[in-house]
Amino acid sequence: MSEAARRRVAVTGLGVVNPFGGDLLDFFARLMRGESAVRLYHHPASPSPLAQPAVSCPHFDAEAVLGRPLAGVCDRYSQLGVAAAFSAWEDAGLPRQNGGSDEYGVSWGTGVGGTLTFERGYADFYVHGKDRAHPLSIVLAMSNAAASHVAINLGLGSSCLTYSVACASSAVSIGEAMRRIQAGESELVVAGGSEAPLSFSVMRAWEAMRVVGQGDEETAYRACRPFQVGRTGLVLGEGAAALVLEDWEHAQARGARIYCELAGYGQSCDHTHLVKPDAYGQTRAMRLALREAGLDASEVGYVNAHGTATREGDPTEIEALRQIFGAHAENLLVSATKSMHGHLLGATGAMEALITVLALARGEVPPTAHLDEVSPDCQGVRHVMGKGLRGVPLKAALSNSFAFGGSNAVLAFKALS
Amino acid sequence: MDTLELLREFIKRRVVNPPEEVTLESRLEEIGVDSLTLLDLMFDMEDKYGVRMPDDLPRPDTVGDLIAIFEKLKPASNV
Repeated sequence: MSEAARRRVAVTGLGVVNPFGGDLLDFFARLMRGESAVRLYHHPASPSPLAQPAVSCPHFDAEAVLGRPLAGVCDRYSQLGVAAAFSAWEDAGLPRQNGGSDEYGVSWGTGVGGTLTFERGYADFYVHGKDRAHPLSIVLAMSNAAASHVAINLGLGSSCLTYSVACASSAVSIGEAMRRIQAGESELVVAGGSEAPLSFSVMRAWEAMRVVGQGDEETAYRACRPFQVGRTGLVLGEGAAALVLEDWEHAQARGARIYCELAGYGQSCDHTHLVKPDAYGQTRAMRLALREAGLDASEVGYVNAHGTATREGDPTEIEALRQIFGAHAENLLVSATKSMHGHLLGATGAMEALITVLALARGEVPPTAHLDEVSPDCQGVRHVMGKGLRGVPLKAALSNSFAFGGSNAVLAFKALS
Repeated sequence: MDTLELLREFIKRRVVNPPEEVTLESRLEEIGVDSLTLLDLMFDMEDKYGVRMPDDLPRPDTVGDLIAIFEKLKPASNV
C-alpha cells in the first residue's frame, strides 16, 4: 500500500487497571511522583514459601467491575483486560448500550494468558487428587479469551486477534491494530494487553533465570532499578492497559477527543539469540517506526524505554538509542517506568504505550524511579531521575518493547500540532 | 435447599440478566443457560450431590428436565 493511501490513526481512548487502584490520571500522577507499586509479594497458595518483589492489583474487584456472571467465566488475565478495555471505551466517549460495530475490532496481547487457571487445574490433579478438570478450564485459560470477551461485550465485529510475542505482545497488538485501520479493514480497534503472571510456577520460573530484582519487606519497593549501578533485574507485575485507536476522519466525524497520533510502528527480529538482546535489531525497529512516522530522530523528545533493569538488557538498549539518535541522544529524555508498575510481560507494551501517550499529550515525562547513579554502561542519554518533568514541549515520543525470542516492536506517537 | 432453589441460586449468580422467575417449565436457553453455563452448572451440581452424570444423557430442555435428572441420580448415590 502506498504511503499516500494510508489512513492516519488517532488515539482517542485510554484505559488501565493499575496496582494503585485509582483512575488513569491518579495512576499517571503517581508515576510522575516516582511512586513504586512494587512490594514483597507472598504467594497465597504456594506449596513452598515464596516471597518475591512483584506488583499486584489488590484493589481490583472483578465482580464489582464486570458483574458476577462475566467475572465468573474469565481468568484473572481476562478480567483485568476486559476492565481496561471498558475503561478505554468509556474514555473514548463511546456508548455501551448500543453496542459497537462490524467495522470495529479488537487487537490484544498476552504472554502467559490463563496461567492461573492452568495452575489451579494442575494443583487439582497433582496435589488434591482430583480426577477431573473444571469444564470451563479451556475457555478460561485460552490465550484469546480476553480479546473474545472484549469483542462480545463491546460488540466488536471486525477482526478479533491476539498476539503472543513475549514482552512485546501488546506493543505488537497495538501496531497490528494500526495496520488494520490503515488498510481500511477496521474503523476503530480496541488494542491493548493484559497479564496475570503471579502464579507460583511462573514466578519460580523467572526466579530460576536469575533476572528477578532482589528485595525484602523493607527494600522490595526499589527492587527494580533500570539503568542504575548494581541493578539486579525485573519485577513481575499484573495489570492491563487498552487504547482506542481510530481512523482519524472517523474520530473527527464523531467529535472524539484525540490524544495524539499513532504515526509509526516498527518491528524487527534480532535473529541472533533467544534471550540476549541485540542493539542492531533494536535500531532497525526504531528506524522503521521513525520512517513511517515521517520523523527525524531529532524531533523525538522522549523514549519510554523497555528498560527491564537486567544487566544485559539496559546497556544494549542505551547503545541502540545512541546509534539512532546520535548527537541528539544527550538531550533525549529517557525513562523506564517498569521501575514503578513492574514488568507486565505481554501487557507491558500497552501499559507503556498508554504512559507515553499521556506524557506526550500532557507534556509531562515520568521518571525512572530509584535511579540516582547511572551505570557507566547506560550513559549517553538524558535519564529522567527523581520526580517527573513538567511543562516539556514534546513533538513526538517512542515506546520501545523488546522481547525474549528477539522480537522488537517500537511505537511512534506524534503530538497534535 | 431443594434442587430448584439451588438452580435458582446458580442462575442468579452466573447468568447475565437473570430472569425474575425460574419455574420448572422455564426453558434453559431462554433463561440464559447456554451450553457453557450448563456444563458449569452440571459440574457444580455434581459436586454438591456427589454424583456423576453420564456423558450420554439427553440434553435437558427445561429446568424441570434438569431437576429430574438430578433427582434420579441422587438416590442411586445415597446422597
